[in-house]
Amino acid sequence: MMTQLLLFNVTNGLIIGAFYVLMALGLSLILNLSNVINFAHGGFLVIGGYIAYTITPYIGFWGALLLAPPLTAIIGLAVERVLIRPLYGRDPLYSLLLTFGLAFMIEDGTRFIWGPQGKPVTIPAFLAQPLSNDLFFITGYRLFMVVVVMIAVALLFLLLRYTRLGVRIRAGTLDLETVAALGINVGMLRSLNFAVGIFLAGLSGVLAAGQLGLEPTMGTGLLMPSFIAIIVGGIGSLPGTLIGGLLIGVASGVTAVFFPAASEAVIYVMMAVILLTRPRGLFGEEGMMS
Amino acid sequence: MTSALSAEGLHTYYGKSHILHGVSLEVAEGRITALLGRNGAGKTTTLRSLMGLTQAREGKITIFGEDTTRWPTFRIAAHGVGYVPEGRRIFANLSVEENLKVPLERGGPWTIERIYKLFPRLAERKQNRGRQLSGGEQEMLSIARALLLNPRLLILDEPSQGLAPLIVREVFRIVQQMKAEGISVLLVEQNARMSLEIADDAYVLDDGAVVYSGTARELAADDARVRALAGASAEEWTLT
Ligand SMILES: Nc1ncnc2c1ncn2[C@@H]1O[C@H](COP(=O)(O)OP(=O)(O)OP(=O)(O)O)[C@@H](O)[C@H]1O
Ligand SMILES: [Mg+2]
Repeated sequence: MMTQLLLFNVTNGLIIGAFYVLMALGLSLILNLSNVINFAHGGFLVIGGYIAYTITPYIGFWGALLLAPPLTAIIGLAVERVLIRPLYGRDPLYSLLLTFGLAFMIEDGTRFIWGPQGKPVTIPAFLAQPLSNDLFFITGYRLFMVVVVMIAVALLFLLLRYTRLGVRIRAGTLDLETVAALGINVGMLRSLNFAVGIFLAGLSGVLAAGQLGLEPTMGTGLLMPSFIAIIVGGIGSLPGTLIGGLLIGVASGVTAVFFPAASEAVIYVMMAVILLTRPRGLFGEEGMMS
Repeated sequence: MTSALSAEGLHTYYGKSHILHGVSLEVAEGRITALLGRNGAGKTTTLRSLMGLTQAREGKITIFGEDTTRWPTFRIAAHGVGYVPEGRRIFANLSVEENLKVPLERGGPWTIERIYKLFPRLAERKQNRGRQLSGGEQEMLSIARALLLNPRLLILDEPSQGLAPLIVREVFRIVQQMKAEGISVLLVEQNARMSLEIADDAYVLDDGAVVYSGTARELAADDARVRALAGASAEEWTLT
């Protein structure tokens, strides 16, 4: 019974950790290349979820899974062009305040358009089944989510390692001026990079909608832990962000078994302990996406 | 003689400090132009102005017939200007191969394969991180990176800095080879004697203003001036 409870919560932790990872990787990309702390990232998750909700009746769950993230990315691109781009080169405080306000605007906007009540997103019936009686808490959908996140993360890392776009993004996080001097339109590079980050937020939104249903506030709860995942993993290191997200997910899952009240606080405690022992985070010293 | 680049009356500031006081210079097509001057004379600032990295507040820059004065840096580079910055500025955490994938592919004779033929050391170390390279290898990588843009004009900021004489000679030989390929070159150097040996034209900058312009040969013959330039340093070794 105890092992089952533990397993249940570890699984829970891994799944929530997978969301942290997806969110935190997008946040990291944007932070590393553009020095923008995107407080509206949770808002883009919500947008992704509601877009999926809106288009599912027409094109089904699979169509929505495929289409909602790029649609979210296009909205992100527009926001970057119009609102965030003018703030590059200024103190990061400006973009932080802007995205902070934007987060509220998105929340109120979704409430205005879709109403304050939660909305369900229907997932295919076969995904809703538990895997077995013993493992009643692992539905096919939960497994599916983890697989999708794994694929998305793998594709992101392949993009960054093997494509010219990815190599330029990594070069840009080190020395944007030199990238420009090599003929690369760094404004465009930042836009594309922003879009990739928002794509990941949109994907999180679709996946989360299928699991939890939709609420205008659902992005907010994921945002702080995602920031902490970045700090725990070490700012600048994407592999660090990946490990950091899973780590705090599982830590809060396990804590939920023994000391439920602390399952949220444990994330902050972990951050404090790691920063005290390794001020640059777990992978911080290696630096920049290495 | 057509000019690859001409700058007229550049005034450049860092914040409130006025660094360039009306710098004018010209790089003739197919030739090597040396820009010399002591530490702090404003050589790097001049190059940064030409590249649009620190835009000149006054003056006009024409590159291959286009007024590039207000162009953003990437557009100037994409116009065919390769830039080898002071201190090399290679991407330390990226592999050699990845460093070579950053520049815009403008199309032309330079490909990564050809770069590896010209710089066999880079081919041997292509999986190494930039920061694992020696100073000379980093300089080669920085030049290679600029060449991959397939530039018509190559701008180098003190490529010999911190390198052993033997390596400097190799770097200068490559610069000459670029000239033979038809690339115009603007070469900033502290190493006056050696750069005057490969240069066709020369400028001397002091306190943000041009104090000499003429042929490299004439300047090289002016022993007093050259010695003053070198700051009486021990740069007695020569190219041959
Ligand atoms: N970012 C900066 N902010 C303020 N002043 C600067 C900056 N960069 C350079 N300067 C000043 O501008 C002047 C010219 O500097 P610059 O780097 O152009 O000289 P240089 O000829 O390239 O010298 P060196 O041979 O040492 O590289 C110097 O007095 C320097 O102190
Ligand atoms: Mg300099």
